[in-house]
Amino acid sequence: MSDVTLFHWEPNANSGKPMLALMEKGVAFDSHYLDLLNFDQHRPDYLAINPQGTIPAMKHGNRVLTESTAIMEYVEEAFPGPTLVPRHPQDRWRVRWWMKWMDQWLGPSFSMIGWNVFVGPAVRSKDPDELKAAIERIPLPERRVAWRKAIYGLFGDVEMKESQRRVALGIRMLETSLGEREWLASDQYSLADINGFNLAYALPLSQPTLSNDELTPNILRWLRAIYARPATKACWAMGRTAMVKRVAILEQKDIGMERVP
Amino acid sequence: MRMTVYHGEPNGPSLTVLAALFEKGLDAELIHIDLAKGQRHKLPFALQPEVAMSVEGEGPVVVVDGEAMTDSVFIACYFDELSQDNALRPSDSYARWEMMSWCRQLIERTAPAAAFVGCSAYVPSCDPTTLARIGSLDLRARWQDTAGVVADERLADCKARIAQAVAKIEARLEGSEWLMGGFSVADLESYAWLAGMVELVPSAFVDRPRTADWMKRVRARPAVKRALSLARGPAPAHAWAPGPEINRWG
Repeated sequence: MSDVTLFHWEPNANSGKPMLALMEKGVAFDSHYLDLLNFDQHRPDYLAINPQGTIPAMKHGNRVLTESTAIMEYVEEAFPGPTLVPRHPQDRWRVRWWMKWMDQWLGPSFSMIGWNVFVGPAVRSKDPDELKAAIERIPLPERRVAWRKAIYGLFGDVEMKESQRRVALGIRMLETSLGEREWLASDQYSLADINGFNLAYALPLSQPTLSNDELTPNILRWLRAIYARPATKACWAMGRTAMVKRVAILEQKDIGMERVP
Repeated sequence: MRMTVYHGEPNGPSLTVLAALFEKGLDAELIHIDLAKGQRHKLPFALQPEVAMSVEGEGPVVVVDGEAMTDSVFIACYFDELSQDNALRPSDSYARWEMMSWCRQLIERTAPAAAFVGCSAYVPSCDPTTLARIGSLDLRARWQDTAGVVADERLADCKARIAQAVAKIEARLEGSEWLMGGFSVADLESYAWLAGMVELVPSAFVDRPRTADWMKRVRARPAVKRALSLARGPAPAHAWAPGPEINRWG
């Protein structure tokens, strides 16, 4: 039994960030899987741990930590193991800048598309009254709005278009940055890469006309390099859903526009 | 190392960055720009991604060895890492997590609300040529949005968010002079976004004695005084420009 417990969903987006950071550091943890599609994160036993009902959360001893990027920074500082943040202050600034940009600007757009095509349809077949009650249990008002939109397919054309615009621009920004440096924010593998992989691991499948070996060779090189790491393999093996198994696309070579499915 | 700080009036993120610089006793060339007129977009590095796409919106830019850096909390962390003296962050990892997650929630919930309330009261204006130079389309849309907001649902929602932030600060200050125990970036960033709200959302500050005392303490710090002395106008807390966007998706 470890003194670290991680409450998480799939190795994907926010949950995957501390999962992969812990595994890269070689920190043993008790895994507590919460099924987001079954609304486990809004049940009383979890709300007792994180009253905001957001995933992930981490317990270290008696302390509870939330906010996935801040948890990663804590993991980096509190545990021994390979360093996941460069030493030079300017490089460290760049790691933080790119993480915030992904967390607050690019990530929400990816997430809106993902919720529209994956999360919404996955829960929609449940009993309508049960869904209604599930929405009412959500503590944060903005998360209630998000779930309502996903469940009932209420995303507007304007907001979906804006998300698509941001995803397309974000992909270009990632490609440019990865053309200048081996890793996203510095010359060293860092938390920014862990953050980015969680966002982009299935990119050549989800956005095949925007990201492939012809258009974004640097993104593909970067994703494959992260996927080749033992910690990443072990982390993604913890996934249970078809969504996460899409990572296998990175085993393919020469992903072109006209990829054979 | 050669460092230049391009800053606006000492309010919001410019106040955080200037005060953090002075707290740390670092040397930099200071260049005042009018963020409320969109002058940042005339700087030669305005279209570099880390400037154009900064989540913070119109904030200061620090240039070091040719690299332009934005986002006040991270600039303050950068300053803090340049020297050991006068630490602006707790040394314990858990306390540091508390500070970073505090700042994250502030940046995400409070800062967009404060910028929106501020811009609706003291409307910034940017001429069409400058507007057309703004690299980020969503930041450009926020500039266009500032014209003519009087009272809509968003304004009421933003004011509610200010009240929530002040309530959180009031609770946090119980038995403590500063938000994280010792003085830190969290005090600077929280103060910088809220100083201008005292006048614009007075109800949020009613019966908040600990917050009022804390604001006095922040203002009394020599570094903050020095930052405020750089104001060109009579009331820096009236200087606003489009900030971070209001969460578009939970």
